[in-house]
Amino acid sequence: MKALVPAERLLEIFGLLARHSHAAPARGSLCSVAAEFTQFDGANIALLPESKLLTALCSSNGTSGALLELEITLGEGPTTDACGSDDVIRITNLGDEDQTRWLSYSPLALANGAVSVYAFPITIGAARLGALTLFRWESGELSEAQESDAYLMASVVARAILDLQAGAPRGSIATQLEREAHFGFTVHQAAGMVAVQGSLNVSDALVALRAHSFASNQGLSELAARVVTRRIRYEARDGVWYEVYRNSE
Amino acid sequence: MARENILVDTLVELADNLVDDFDVIDVLNLLCQRCVEVLDVDAAGVMLASPTGELQFIASSSESMRVLELFQIQADEGPCVDCANSGQPVVNESLTAPDERWPRFTPRAIAQGFHSVHSLPMRLRGRTIGALNLFRLETGAIAHEGAHMAQGLADVATIAILQHRSALDATTLNAQLSHALNSRIIIEQAKGIVAQTLNCDMDHAFAALRKFARDHNQGITLVASMVVGREVAVSSLVNPATKGPAS
Repeated sequence: MKALVPAERLLEIFGLLARHSHAAPARGSLCSVAAEFTQFDGANIALLPESKLLTALCSSNGTSGALLELEITLGEGPTTDACGSDDVIRITNLGDEDQTRWLSYSPLALANGAVSVYAFPITIGAARLGALTLFRWESGELSEAQESDAYLMASVVARAILDLQAGAPRGSIATQLEREAHFGFTVHQAAGMVAVQGSLNVSDALVALRAHSFASNQGLSELAARVVTRRIRYEARDGVWYEVYRNSE
Repeated sequence: MARENILVDTLVELADNLVDDFDVIDVLNLLCQRCVEVLDVDAAGVMLASPTGELQFIASSSESMRVLELFQIQADEGPCVDCANSGQPVVNESLTAPDERWPRFTPRAIAQGFHSVHSLPMRLRGRTIGALNLFRLETGAIAHEGAHMAQGLADVATIAILQHRSALDATTLNAQLSHALNSRIIIEQAKGIVAQTLNCDMDHAFAALRKFARDHNQGITLVASMVVGREVAVSSLVNPATKGPAS
């Protein structure tokens, strides 16, 4: 089924990972390496736990991060589809007229600068972790070499994530994995707060947050941060969002 | 075939195995064969430490009894045992009987025609998990470059074993990660509920959840999920007079 993987490519990944973690020991080195190694303009990695809440792990740059957040807000897109698939999601040009796969996502992703997108499921054997999504800021095919590199990268990502998680206390996320990641848990804190403000359950509160993020054209994590710092709140009575102005500001 | 090409081919085969699940014994047997081809040695084998610390024979370049015996005998004494215990390579040891270090191993090795032995540690984060054992018919040192390459192959063997272990555990580990992510999401939601209700910040909200969990001898994830499911009132988190969750 699979052609022999050139060992040099694997060594290249290890070399890049070593270099990146030296240069910037902080976050997202897996994504930066993925983009550089596959020669794409941007990359992001997302996990899909049992709860089916798509969770960002990392992004290679701000645009890729915004594209993943857009997907989380809208609940549709290439990463979401790849998480539930055995195949690569291939979109050569999001602007094609027959591109009706994601009616909300496609035009907004284009507006964010993405033109072609390829999403690879991250799996080991039967274990499905999430997806690696690669972007290009212009239309373009996926070459055979890039495809095989991306498969190899997804395999390394899967092992890297599980290796980082190995040995973590039961029920906890490994500290090393969290250091590597950009999980964006503030959104869930905000959902808890909005649930109380609006007398909603937390799932509905998350939906309300996503809807307002979309309607008010602000990023989900930006909105969440404003909820948590009490600059905006949701009113139960009329289901309206209120900006909170403080004299001290 | 040139040495370097064989080495690259070995890595190619191993890299292919890295992507799919594989039989670790096959990989280590292959590695031992490559050692013989690349390093100018006559036999090679891998011994791994069991959880109790005893060395067990795992793979060899040859299935002949002549070679296998030399690994079996090293359960008690021999260059592999020394190497695994010390974590240091045992290189270019000429074998002459009688041998005080290895009174049982050395005469058997000589009887089978081997006159020098090397053992390289397979190390992982400071721990020695086993050793790669190389035998030569002749005495004399393997070249410096050869020793370097041998250690490289021992490192590859270590990676192969680790990849195998992580492949075996992938499903379990992934389930644990998924569970940990879910717990974390629930805890963050509960922090939000507590922070809003008590008008406190997230750190205080977390402290309240943790204190309640400890006081009632419950896991924090369970307490958080009860808060999220509104099975426990937030006011009871900070009011010690209020009863805990029904158990």
